[in-house]
Amino acid sequence: MSTDDTTAGHLQELRRGTVVLGCLVRLREPDYGYALLESLNELGITVDANTLYPLLRRLEKQGLLTSEWNTDEARPRKFYRTSPAGEQLAGVLTADWKNIDRALTRLTSGDDR
Amino acid sequence: MTTPTATLTDRYVAAAARHLPETQRDEFARELRERIADEIDARLAASADGAPTTAADAEDAVLRELGDPAALAAAYIDRPLQLIGPRYFLAWKRLLTLLYAIVVPITAAAVLLAQLLSGAGPGEVAAEVVGVVLALVVHLAFWVTLVFAILERTPGTKAVERWTPDQLPEIRDEGRAGRLGDLIASLVFLGLFAVVIVWQQVRPPSFGGPGQEIPVLDPELWSLWLPYFLVLIVLEMLFAVAIYLWGWNWPLAIANLVLNVAFTVPALWLLATEQLFNPAFLDVIGWPWDGAGAVTTTVLVVVFVGIAVWDVIDGVVKTVRGRGGSALTLGRI
Repeated sequence: MSTDDTTAGHLQELRRGTVVLGCLVRLREPDYGYALLESLNELGITVDANTLYPLLRRLEKQGLLTSEWNTDEARPRKFYRTSPAGEQLAGVLTADWKNIDRALTRLTSGDDR
Repeated sequence: MTTPTATLTDRYVAAAARHLPETQRDEFARELRERIADEIDARLAASADGAPTTAADAEDAVLRELGDPAALAAAYIDRPLQLIGPRYFLAWKRLLTLLYAIVVPITAAAVLLAQLLSGAGPGEVAAEVVGVVLALVVHLAFWVTLVFAILERTPGTKAVERWTPDQLPEIRDEGRAGRLGDLIASLVFLGLFAVVIVWQQVRPPSFGGPGQEIPVLDPELWSLWLPYFLVLIVLEMLFAVAIYLWGWNWPLAIANLVLNVAFTVPALWLLATEQLFNPAFLDVIGWPWDGAGAVTTTVLVVVFVGIAVWDVIDGVVKTVRGRGGSALTLGRI
């Protein structure tokens, strides 16, 4: 395995959980798969379509997202929205993310306050 | 939608949906259709700036990127893309190893015994044992794997066993593991030796056509000496197992000496008194070769004695070294 592959693998590991958090926060405003993909990537939360679509399905199955088909336009689209349970999970994940960030900051600055 | 481009998407969606449970198919097909259409649009929009792309090209590229519909469907429903996943792999491996270690030797021994009792020839016995063992190995692997593959695909099943410290294996006796090769080599060699002794009588080698089959060893030896040698071979096998189990020690080194004497002395005596080989066999090969008989006999005697002496010395050396060796090992720790 080359260094680039190793780096890519670890980056993917690091980002995996943040995609879930990104989805839960971003979908407080209902949106459909492709628009969500675009906006997350624009925000810098890098995610692949092959990861995102199955993830949306799984989060819906876990009751963290709700969905509704929008047939107003020519192309029917499935709009997802964060459920109350999803909102709660987003809160927990955000708090944990901040803890990790603080811990890593302390670690890298060598400051053990 | 009857345009050719739509047909490709239709076919893709149908191919992927087939892999989902029926209740989820319609919803999944709609989702996938939405995704494909959005991605095609994105490609067409992007191409507006640069090189123009046709709708057909865009569709082709999108489907190509989605990849194998079966793999895509598996990703959507979390279906395992392996025969047996990490959850069951260890249990599968342990069970199969255990079955092989217990069932295969017992079956091989049972078949061997049954064949010998039915009076089959050595070739027949070997063929039957190898055939049954091969079939058994394949069957065990297939059925065990099938059961675990089904478990892997059954939703809601939990890990079959929770690991406990009681399952920890004893620390391997390194010396014993090292002697395993010696044991196998000894047993194979002794087994072949016994088979050859029996075989040259039951299926004598042919010298120049039908009716010319002549046993190499004197058939009269069956009244006492050949059974005696066969019993010795069995004792040698037991001795090899003892060496594997306990390693070399003084009693075993002495037993080795006794066995070697018990084998070599009668063999040399039979050779020297011209009782070992079948006279008819010696006639056929033209023994003695123009007066060289005495020289050949001497060479054979020297080789026999040399092997026996070397084997006894080897046993003594290993016994002595084994004592020192274990001290060295302890010193290293």
